[in-house]
Amino acid sequence: MDEKKFEQLLLTVQKPGRYAGGEINSIIKDKEQVSVRFAFCFPDSYEVGMSHLGMKILYSLFNSKEDIWCERVFAPWPDFEKVMRDNSIPLFALESRDPIKDFDIIGFTLQYELSYSNILNMLSLAGVPLRSKDRDSLLPLVVAGGPCTCNAEPLADFVDVFFLGEGEKVDLEFIELYKEFKKNGKSKSEFLKAAAQIEGVYVPSLYDVSYNADGTVCAVTPKDDAPFPIRKRIEENLDETFYPESFVVPLIEIVHDRAVQEIFRGCIRGCRFCQAGFIYRPVREKSVETINRQAKALCLSTGYDEISLSSLSTSDYSCIEPLLNDMLDWTKEEKISLSLPSLRIDNFSEELLQKISSVRKSGLTFAPEAGTQRLRDVINKNITEEEILSSCRTAFKGGYTSVKLYFMMGLPTETDEDIKGIADLAQKIVDEFYHLENRPKGKSVNVSISVANFVPKPHTPFQFHPQITKEEMARKQQYLKDCIHTKKISFSYHENRTSFLEGVFARGDRRLGSVIEAAHKKGCKFDGWDEFFELDKWLEAFIECGIDPHFYANRERSYNEINPWDHLDYCVSKEFLISQNELAKGAITTPHCRKKCSVCGANVFGKGVCFEKR
Amino acid sequence: MFSERVFALKNVRLVYTKKGRLRFVSHLDMNRFMSRVIKRSRLPVWYTEGFNPHAYITFALPLSLGFESEYEILDIKLVDDNFDIAKIPDILNGICGEYINFFDVFEPTLKTGLIAAASYEISFDDGGEIFDKLSDFLKQDSIICSKKTKKGDIKQLDIAQKIKNMKIEQSDNNTVLHLTLPSGSEENLNPELLITAFYEANQKEYYCYNVLRTAVLDKEGKLFR
Repeated sequence: MDEKKFEQLLLTVQKPGRYAGGEINSIIKDKEQVSVRFAFCFPDSYEVGMSHLGMKILYSLFNSKEDIWCERVFAPWPDFEKVMRDNSIPLFALESRDPIKDFDIIGFTLQYELSYSNILNMLSLAGVPLRSKDRDSLLPLVVAGGPCTCNAEPLADFVDVFFLGEGEKVDLEFIELYKEFKKNGKSKSEFLKAAAQIEGVYVPSLYDVSYNADGTVCAVTPKDDAPFPIRKRIEENLDETFYPESFVVPLIEIVHDRAVQEIFRGCIRGCRFCQAGFIYRPVREKSVETINRQAKALCLSTGYDEISLSSLSTSDYSCIEPLLNDMLDWTKEEKISLSLPSLRIDNFSEELLQKISSVRKSGLTFAPEAGTQRLRDVINKNITEEEILSSCRTAFKGGYTSVKLYFMMGLPTETDEDIKGIADLAQKIVDEFYHLENRPKGKSVNVSISVANFVPKPHTPFQFHPQITKEEMARKQQYLKDCIHTKKISFSYHENRTSFLEGVFARGDRRLGSVIEAAHKKGCKFDGWDEFFELDKWLEAFIECGIDPHFYANRERSYNEINPWDHLDYCVSKEFLISQNELAKGAITTPHCRKKCSVCGANVFGKGVCFEKR
Repeated sequence: MFSERVFALKNVRLVYTKKGRLRFVSHLDMNRFMSRVIKRSRLPVWYTEGFNPHAYITFALPLSLGFESEYEILDIKLVDDNFDIAKIPDILNGICGEYINFFDVFEPTLKTGLIAAASYEISFDDGGEIFDKLSDFLKQDSIICSKKTKKGDIKQLDIAQKIKNMKIEQSDNNTVLHLTLPSGSEENLNPELLITAFYEANQKEYYCYNVLRTAVLDKEGKLFR
């Protein structure tokens, strides 16, 4: 399309900066000089996608190779989608503005289940056939990576190749192989068979799935020598792992508009509800030196005046205090503020508090996750009420007057007593404030409790549990509301209908592909956004396809059942998940990885916390 | 140590062009953009002394989203009186990307409140079709535009007497209109008002157009410096 006409059309939509490209540090190459063009697609808005660290890492990594040009693509907001469809503008990449249907590889990152309809919508906007079997030629290949590939099955009909685990190595090996096959004029099926031999590559079309009469999976059978099971990939040494020296700096404000420095991967804790805590094992840390060097380079190349440390449970970094000392030194000098997004209650010291408050005094957030000690033991949160109260005391002494607490609802074994426990705990924190002699004077306290809906996820000990129904969730939310008797406690909770759909896809199988396609045809998109989410259309799609969504979300699964994701090996054994679930039933906790190895299976990599001295 | 130096702050005015993909950046986002460019430049600029220090920068005259410009003014303050300011444009051009070009630097002679007008070049992608109609439209004694007031009401405004330095040209592919309109804190007229009024009066065909700000002027009609 004519550039002028295109730019005029941009001026008719909200936030044209989303589609303009031209950001500082974005990468322009000569398309005649590269052998592989990669469209990196984030199936959500520009503001959300540009905040995502994984995309920044892989964008820079791919572009560091001379013969690969990786460009960014985001889901156009519905106002611009209409303009695109009305004017026959196919989905394009931001850098070159070329249609992505002409690219070699179209890659999606799967960060959350509710983005699946956007993936189909983006393929349709690109003019690419949705189903893998309807795309005969080698290019464009449609690939996907990210956490949701740990149960990739609902998208198996649409995606040619999934990458399991961390992408840095496997992606490049895959692209190398693709280059060779493209040069030699090989077919798509020849290439897919060969690619399946790369560790971490899952080609769903090379596996047949059969079902039992009751709808459960009977068997998953590999074809053409495809590996079974398919094991995830990890980076073994994070100090040697590629990390970008610069980020593309967006021209419009995005959700997380700051430099982000990763400090470790994985989590030692093993909270039984938490998928990230299992699929990213084992814990591997970067050294203090690497972190400082990378963080300085990032600030220098972006001009950001804020940097945030990124990891699960940041305060579990083994050298957190020396790291903060070093970082505070130079960030202060450079007038850059440092933020720590993920802190745990039990190792939250006065020193740590002083350090973060010397930078920026935002609210403090903790995640007890459950209201009673019994339920916290069930989920293996491993924190006590006294630890929660003493952390809040420390915070109040330090001048904070508001704390935010995250909880979950609908956890296995949960009773109304556990729900009431959330309100009671919040009340105890309020009391703690007023019992404090040297509390901040003249100020009231605010304890805000934010309650998310528990969704059982694959590869966790709770993968066997039914998700509670929307109706039961609504009742619990109302009950909690009724248990709160003071305005000093504010309560917010999550939309139940989206959690239900999330639960269906999280543990879904290949038969959901037709449902996603039917919902897409009905116009479902941006399901993660309340203003666009239409459950009715989704329910119609389920009925049309003859599929009962409750079969996936609300059913108890036996240990013997073959789960749709059991052939995807995240190196945490099913036996371990079962034993963890049994411990949960008895409210027995498991110590974290640094205290004691619980033999989950992640030591097969021969690296990380599994081999630290205890 | 820092505050002792404050009295010696040196005001510096930079002039740049803003074109291409950067015209989709709003004024507010431009502020963030330039703050980061200045930070990356490591120029000895003055930082505000609040809890979250940031480089002090001021834009003389906001530019509407979608417009290009050949004369954008950015003021900064330096803490180093001896810094050779002639070097600044090259330093900034090395890091601000291909759509911004700094081309002038000097110590300001006028305060930004003294901006009185701005000149524009508006080119229509009309194949020369609207030249006659636009010429006739602009020859009228009274040109009524609808302007939104700050309260959100629509006000009818006759801008015929406010247009200066008008010239209209025709080429094979387009019609180009040059004009100067009041700009700044006292009175501000956006050329979009005129274009909208013209299209409303001639409800036939709509042609794409591009607005380029060519100059910012003081009360005497001289280039604002």
